[in-house]
Amino acid sequence: MVKTVVIKPKVDINKVNTHILPVDFEYYEPRTLRELVELLDKLGPSAKILAGGTDLLVQIKQRAVEPKYVVNIKKVRELDFIEDRGDYLAIGAVTRLRAIEKNSLIAEKFTALHEAVRAMAGVQIRNMATIGGNLCNASPAADTAPPLMVFDAELKIVGPGYEKVIPITQFFKGPKKTVLKYNEVLAEIRIPYPKPPTGSAFIKIARTAMDLAKVNVAVALRVDEDDYIRWIRVTLGSVAPTPVRARSVEEELIDKRFSEEIVRKASRLVVNDISPITDIRSTAEYRREVSKVIVRDALLIAYKRVRGV
Amino acid sequence: MSKIILPKRLEKYRYIGKNTIRHDGIAKVTGKLKYAYDIYLPGMLYGRILKSPYPHARVKKIDTSEAEKMGAVVVTFKDVPRKKFNIRLVSVDEVNYKDWEVLTDHPKFVGEYIAAVAAETEELAQKALEAIKIEWEVYEPLLDPLESMTPGKPKIHDKILFGQREVEVKNNIACTKEYVEGDPDRAFKEADIVIERVFKTNRRYHMQLEPKVAVVRPEPDGGVTIWTTTQTIHNTKILVSQVFDIPMSKVNVIKLPIGGSFGSSIQTNLVVLVAVALALKARRPVRIALTREEDILDHHSYQMIFKVRVAAKKDGTIIAGELENIMDIGAHQIQAYPLLGTALGWFVSLYKWKNIRYKGIAVYTNKTPSCAFRGYGNPQVTWAVETVIDELAEKLGIDPLELRLKNYVGRGDIFWGQGPTVKSVIRSDGVPELIRKGAELIGWDKRPKPGSQKGRYRRGIGVARGFHTSGAGGPLSGEVIDYTGAIIKVNEDGTIDYITALQDHGGGTLDAHAKIIAEELGVPLKSINIVWADTRTTLYDVCTHASRGVYVGGEAARRAARIVKQKLLEYAARILGDIATPEGLRIEPDEELGQGVIYVEGSPEKRITVGEVARIAWQRNWGSIAAAVSYRSYAAPPAFTVYFVEVEVDTETGIVRPVRVVAGADIGTVVNPDLAAGQIHGGFAQGWGMATLEDLPYDPETGELMNRGFITDYKVVTAPDMPKLDDFIVIFADTEEPTGPLGAKGIGEAAKNPVAAAVANAIYNAIGVRFYELPITPEKILKALKEKGEIKE
Ligand SMILES: Cc1cc2nc3c(=O)[nH]c(=O)nc-3n(C[C@H](O)[C@H](O)[C@H](O)COP(=O)(O)OP(=O)(O)OC[C@H]3O[C@@H](n4cnc5c(N)ncnc54)[C@H](O)[C@@H]3O)c2cc1C
Repeated sequence: MVKTVVIKPKVDINKVNTHILPVDFEYYEPRTLRELVELLDKLGPSAKILAGGTDLLVQIKQRAVEPKYVVNIKKVRELDFIEDRGDYLAIGAVTRLRAIEKNSLIAEKFTALHEAVRAMAGVQIRNMATIGGNLCNASPAADTAPPLMVFDAELKIVGPGYEKVIPITQFFKGPKKTVLKYNEVLAEIRIPYPKPPTGSAFIKIARTAMDLAKVNVAVALRVDEDDYIRWIRVTLGSVAPTPVRARSVEEELIDKRFSEEIVRKASRLVVNDISPITDIRSTAEYRREVSKVIVRDALLIAYKRVRGV
Repeated sequence: MSKIILPKRLEKYRYIGKNTIRHDGIAKVTGKLKYAYDIYLPGMLYGRILKSPYPHARVKKIDTSEAEKMGAVVVTFKDVPRKKFNIRLVSVDEVNYKDWEVLTDHPKFVGEYIAAVAAETEELAQKALEAIKIEWEVYEPLLDPLESMTPGKPKIHDKILFGQREVEVKNNIACTKEYVEGDPDRAFKEADIVIERVFKTNRRYHMQLEPKVAVVRPEPDGGVTIWTTTQTIHNTKILVSQVFDIPMSKVNVIKLPIGGSFGSSIQTNLVVLVAVALALKARRPVRIALTREEDILDHHSYQMIFKVRVAAKKDGTIIAGELENIMDIGAHQIQAYPLLGTALGWFVSLYKWKNIRYKGIAVYTNKTPSCAFRGYGNPQVTWAVETVIDELAEKLGIDPLELRLKNYVGRGDIFWGQGPTVKSVIRSDGVPELIRKGAELIGWDKRPKPGSQKGRYRRGIGVARGFHTSGAGGPLSGEVIDYTGAIIKVNEDGTIDYITALQDHGGGTLDAHAKIIAEELGVPLKSINIVWADTRTTLYDVCTHASRGVYVGGEAARRAARIVKQKLLEYAARILGDIATPEGLRIEPDEELGQGVIYVEGSPEKRITVGEVARIAWQRNWGSIAAAVSYRSYAAPPAFTVYFVEVEVDTETGIVRPVRVVAGADIGTVVNPDLAAGQIHGGFAQGWGMATLEDLPYDPETGELMNRGFITDYKVVTAPDMPKLDDFIVIFADTEEPTGPLGAKGIGEAAKNPVAAAVANAIYNAIGVRFYELPITPEKILKALKEKGEIKE
C-alpha cells in the first residue's frame, strides 16, 4: 500500500515558537566599544551581537540560530551617530534606519541610500533596525548594501586592540557571511562625498510594498558638461550570493557620451555580472530580465538628477 | 477620501444609512478590548501542541516521560476519545463527513496534531514539547490532487463516517456530486459557438489578524468554560459536548470579539478540543495560542481545478454551461461536500445556462485542510466564468456588458447560491443600475481594444460581476442549518440590552443590528447595549458566515424589537390613559434625553419617555418588557456586485498596478455606509491578492510549505499596493430587499467574489493575454509577453 520513505524536513516545526525566545542564553549590555570587543573576545564564537534584533530575533524564534550569549550593542552610545567629517560622511553602526531616512544631508548627497532605506520594511521596523545590522546580517537582498557600494563606502571594523578600515566591496563573503571574526564589530560606515555633479538612484522590485527585494539596484554617475560619463557605479542585490557590482555595465559606459540608446544597450550586459537563482520570491529568469530593465531605469533617473531635471 | 455614492432613499432613516461610531470603537483604538489572546485566568497553564513534521506518517512509539519529569501535563492520541467527527457542524448530520480526531497517531499533513503539553510557562511548555520522543514511520506524500485520485496510489484515509454510517474512501476521493439539467449534449450541438477552458486557482491562507486561541477552564461539576476565537459559540459548545461526552448544559462558550476570520473559524478550530483535553487532565485552566506559523499550517482555501464549457447562439443567448470542478481539499473534510453543491450553486446562479452539466470531485491530499475563505468557492468559480463570458463577448463581437445583462440571473429568477437544497426567488436586483453607472464612471466606452497598445506601460479596463448569498435560509429545511436568535429586554431606566450569540468578526455586524433595533423601536442608538453573552444566555445561532450577519441576525433583532415596541406602547397607553388604541402611539428618539419618547399622533402633549414606562412597569409589578425570537429566513437573497477595474501593466517588469476601481454593490438598504464601503475596499484588496500575488506551493521533497510556514514569504497586499482612495469609487444600488431587515442584504463575500475576474479581464484588455492559472504574477506576465514576441532584446 503505502511506501515508506526518508524525509528530512527543512524546518523543525516543533522547535519554532515566535511567541517567545525559545532558546536560553546569557544576555550582556556593554556600554563602550572597548568593553564590547573585550566581551566578544572572552565569550567566543557562540556569542551573537544584538542590534535592532529585526533579523536576529526572527532567526532565534525560527531556531536558525541558537546563541549561547547575546550581546546588545545598542547601549554603546558611541556607535550611534551621523557625522559630517568634511571629506566623508560617517554613520555609526547602530544608527537606526529611521534616522538615516530623516537625514536631509543623506537625502541630498546620497539619494540612492535615502531611497533604499525608505523602501525598507515599515516605520515600526525602521525605528528598531540599524544600518550595521542590515550589513552584518549579509542577506544578498540587503537594501542598504547596493547604495553603499556605489558610493565606495568604507567600513571601520574594530577588534580587540585594533581597528581597520576596508572597502565595503570586500565585506561580503556569501549569504549570511562577512569577513568579520567573532570578536570584531562593524563600528562605522564612511561614505566619501562624490564629486559634483553626481546623481544616484535606487530601485527595488518586490512582491508588495513591504517586502525583501526580488532584485534591487543602486547606481551613481557623474557626467561632464558635454554629457560624457566620467564616473559610474552600478550595484545589484538579490541576484548573486552577495550584492554585486555590474562591472560590465560600468566599463561599457565609462567615458561614453550619455544617451538613452547607449544606456539601454549597456544595461543588457548586466547579465554577465549576476548569477540569480530561483527561490520562493522569484525565478532566475525573471531576475535576469528585470535586472536589465531596472539598471537602465535607474541610470536614466540618476542622469536626470545630475542635470537637475 | 474614499468616495461613496449612496441612494437618496436612505435619507428617510434616522440611523440607517448614516455613519456612526462603533460600539466597540473606543475600546479597540485604545487597545482595551479583550480578545481570547488577552484572557489570563488564575492558575492557568500554557499549552503547546506537538505537530507532525511529516506529510504522512505513523507514530510507532511515543515517549513522554521526559516531558512529564519537567512537570508538564501531557496528552497524546492515547488520552483522547478515539472517535471520528467533523469540526464543522453547519451541515445536517446525515450529510456530514467525519474524518477528524483530536490527536492522532496517523498524521496526514505537516502540522497535524499528535500530542500536547501544558506547563506553568510557555517557555517550560516549549521545553517539555521538545523533550517528547517519537519514532516515526514516514510515507510518501501525495501533494497533487490529480495524482492523488489516480487509482493505485497510497490511501490517505481508509474508513471515515458519513453521518453515522461508515464508508470506505476510494482513490482518495473524499466525495463527489453530479448534476444535469436539460439536455446539454443537444445544446452544445446546436450552438453557434462553444468555448472550453481549463482553470487552476491558487491555494491561499486567510491571514486573519488573530491566530487561533483557546482558553479552557475545567469546572467542578465536570463541565468546561471556553474562551476562544470562533465564528460560532453554539457549534463549539455542541462539538465539545459530543466529542468529550459532556452534557451541553455543562459546556459554556463565552462570546468574545474576534480579530477577523474570513471563514477560518466556521469550524471549531481543533486547538479548542486539544485545550479541553489538556484542561480536563490537568484539572487546571489551560491556554493554547497558536503562533502565526502554526496558524498557517491550520487552514487554507480550497484550490480548484475547473473545466468550463459554454455554448451560445450568435445573438448572444447562452444555451448551455458545463463545469467540472476538481477540488484539492487537503487532508481532512471540513465542508468539501457542501462546497461541491455550493460551487454548483455559484455556477448556475451566475447565468441562465438553461442546459447544465456539473461534476464535482473533492480529493484528499497530504496538505493542510482547506476551509471556506471569504466567498466559499465563489471567487474561484466567478473568476473562471467571468473570464469565459468575457471571451465569449469578444468572439461574438458583443459588448461584454450587454452580454452579461442579457444572460444573468436576476429579479424573478430562481436563485440557489448556497447549493441545490437552498433555493429562493430573487426579489431585489441592482445589476442593471450598477452596470450603467459603473460603465459611465470608469469610462467604459473609451477603453482600449485588447492588445492594441504598444508602449511600455499599458492600461486596460476590465469588468466582472458576481454575487453572494445573504445567509443559507430558504423555504425548505435542506441540508444546511441556518437560524438565529435574538433577545431584547428593556432595563428599568429605559436603556436596552440586546443579547445574541451571533458573532461580529470586526466588520460592525452588531452595530448594524443595534441600528436596526434603534430604527425599529424609535429610540436613540446610544441607548442600546450590545451584551457580551455566552452559550448559556443566548439562543442558538448557527454561525456568522455566508454573509448572513446583517441579513439574518438583523431581521431577528428587528422582529424582537417589534415585539418589545408593542409592549412598550401597550404599557404607555395604560399609563397615559384616555387612549383608544395603542396603534395611535408613536415613538421617537430624543437624543438629548437619551431616551425614546412615546406620544399620541396628533396630540403630542400626551407623551411619556420609554424610561418612565419601564420604571412604572417595574414599580407597579407589571413585569419585564422583553422578547426572545428564534428566526430562520425563508430566502437567501443575492447581494450583487459589479467591479470595473483599471490596471496598468509595466510590460518590461510584468508588474501590474491597480489604477482605478469603480465598485458597485447591491446590498439592499445600506445600514453602515462607511463600514460597508470598508468591506468593499477590503474585498478588493483580498481579491487583488488572489489575482496577482498569493499562493502556497508545497515542497515536493518534504511535503512542507515552501515558505516553511513563515509569512516573510506569504505576502498579502498592503495599503500602498492599493489605488489611491480618490481613485476608488463605491456605488450602492438603489434597492430594497423585501425579506431583509429594513430592506438590507449581505456584503462581506460579495465584496470580493468578482474581483479576481475583473482584474484578469483588465490585464487582458491591457496586453491581450489571458491567464488561466492564478496568481497572475509578474513572472508569468513577462514570460507570456516574451512568448508573444512583445519583448525585444
Ligand atoms: C518586517 C520586516 C521587514 C523587513 N524589510 C526589510 C527590507 O525591506 N529590506 C532589508 O534589507 N531588510 C529588511 N528587513 C530585515 C532587517 O530589518 C534589516 O536587515 C535590518 O537592517 C537589520 O538590522 P538590526 O539592527 O535589526 O539587526 P540585528 O537583527 O540586530 O542583527 C543582524 C545581524 O547582524 C549582526 N550585527 C548587528 N550589528 C552588528 C555590528 N555592528 N557588528 C557586527 N555584527 C552586527 C547580528 O549579530 C546579526 O547577526 C526586514 C525585517 C522585518 C522583520
